Amino acid sequence: MKHLKFFLITVVQTLLRVLPFPCKTGLAKIGNPGRNAPVLLTGNFRLTVERVRRALEGIDAYLLVANSGGVNVWCAATGGHLTNHDVVSVLKTSGIENLVNHRQVILPQLAATGIEGKIIHKKTGWKVVWGPVYATSIPRFLSRGLEKTVEMRTVSFSWPQRLEMAVAWAFPISVLSLLVFPFWREGVLPLVGFVWGWAFLIFLSFPLYQERIGTTGTGKNIGFIFFNFGERGLLLFLWVLFMLSLVGYTTLAGDFSWALAFRWGLSSLIVVLILGLDLTGSTPVHKSGLHEDRLLSIALYAERCEGASFCEQVCPTDVFEVDYDRQLASLCRAEQCVQCGACIVQCPFDALYFRSLMGDVVAPDTVRRFKLNLLGNRKVASRPAGTE
Amino acid sequence: MSTYVLMRILESAPRRYELGIRLLTLGRLEKTYDRLANHIERGQQVLDLGCGMGALTLHAAERGAKVKGIDINAQMLEIAGQRVREAGLMETVDLVEMGVAELDGEEAQHYDAVMSGLCFSELSEDELTYTLKEVTRILQPGGLLLIADEIKPQGLVKRLIHSLIRVPLAALTYVITQQTTHPTSNLSERVTDAGLSIVSAHLSPLGSFGEFVAQKPAGASS
Repeated sequence: MKHLKFFLITVVQTLLRVLPFPCKTGLAKIGNPGRNAPVLLTGNFRLTVERVRRALEGIDAYLLVANSGGVNVWCAATGGHLTNHDVVSVLKTSGIENLVNHRQVILPQLAATGIEGKIIHKKTGWKVVWGPVYATSIPRFLSRGLEKTVEMRTVSFSWPQRLEMAVAWAFPISVLSLLVFPFWREGVLPLVGFVWGWAFLIFLSFPLYQERIGTTGTGKNIGFIFFNFGERGLLLFLWVLFMLSLVGYTTLAGDFSWALAFRWGLSSLIVVLILGLDLTGSTPVHKSGLHEDRLLSIALYAERCEGASFCEQVCPTDVFEVDYDRQLASLCRAEQCVQCGACIVQCPFDALYFRSLMGDVVAPDTVRRFKLNLLGNRKVASRPAGTE
Repeated sequence: MSTYVLMRILESAPRRYELGIRLLTLGRLEKTYDRLANHIERGQQVLDLGCGMGALTLHAAERGAKVKGIDINAQMLEIAGQRVREAGLMETVDLVEMGVAELDGEEAQHYDAVMSGLCFSELSEDELTYTLKEVTRILQPGGLLLIADEIKPQGLVKRLIHSLIRVPLAALTYVITQQTTHPTSNLSERVTDAGLSIVSAHLSPLGSFGEFVAQKPAGASS
């Protein structure tokens, strides 16, 4: 029964991944937690909560579910839906203070783009510890005494996740493709088939071509998105192959017609463009090709850095190396940066910032105050009242 | 990475929020706020919970009270601040970005009145319990809690009719504003449980919107 429920939630919320699914906020007991049991916190996206609970099976712990508007932790924290207020609120109103002797709360590492440990500590007295990226690593994180390996703090795009993304995109687009029904009845089913096939093709084969699509801000991608040939060049090439084989097949079978070629050409091109709209941004391992943030790069004021290694602990793509003798961080793998901004938000010395191609600086304070919306603009989400 | 929250393509702009709330409350909000503000007197210390764009805060400040408005939405507070400046009430209104969970930082027995317009329906169960406890603590003996909010109607028939009206309305509101509220159930019982006594309660015909005035007993010490 429990497994069936988990399975159903997974299926529904993968098909409808683009919609928020809120669940109840507050405190949940896992097992039989005592007064020294670990306290973990996550957002109220239903699927996340179910996955964390599953990962914690056999462990005695308290789980706090904060209001993230039913959105997953990474998007919610980066987009301003999971804020310091939400964390403060669940810590103070859930009654957890009376249940444990300690004041240490483990937050998902990906929440570091929006939650500031310093503010949480000041307002509640609770110390924030950044947990692993994936819920499945939590048991190992706890048994290692809250130490993370590189793998535990790094995002990956393994085949189950690629499968999920393929389904998450294919479903809404195939619903959209029902729109052709009034004009092209017999084309609906093949088109839906094409949507799913294409989605699986580009996501499952992702590792084969990902080297060639880096959006490293070289300037090639500036302009109207459809002219972004960095990645779409490859997709358009595949689409041309598809059309050529369609034409070849229908000619050989003797039922080629221009009307058919036109319908297929147009509808499949639209599908290819929608699915390629932000292919890199649909992965956790590349920056979005759509957001203006793609033109930024991460940079360090070396003279401010004291080597506290917050950046290393919250970076989901392992960009940093900290030299503890020289007390200095370095951006060893800056090309892997996905522009999430977590390191900038967390650095206690304001030593990190975004730099644009033109040399403009996006200061730490801006990254903390302005959250990223869908279009990649950093809009106000949190700014002290009374300021202009 | 990318932040895909398609239902929130349009940012939760305050102006659209206001429109949505008007829809959900069928335009009765303004009169309700007028009636509630009638309980406020010149020179009183007043706290407005979830002040948003400052509607209730301004009502109270115009009656000569010193008002502190709190909200967690910085965009709304910015608009509230602008309205306060336009009304020339900067001296008596203080707007602070803080949540109800931080009410424990307020001094005990400091306020003559605490107001809450459409704030409780945005809180979780835990938050509401916590808020009512803190409100009771920070009110002076004899002080008032003024509430205007969506509530769950009592009785099956009313509930049914209410759902029939509300579901399409809430759906429309969600499409426009990506906002929704969760009507509170048993609000008057919960207020009483927190140690306040209900002085007056006005419900809309369907019992889906309530105006409550509650008072902290004069002899209460905390």
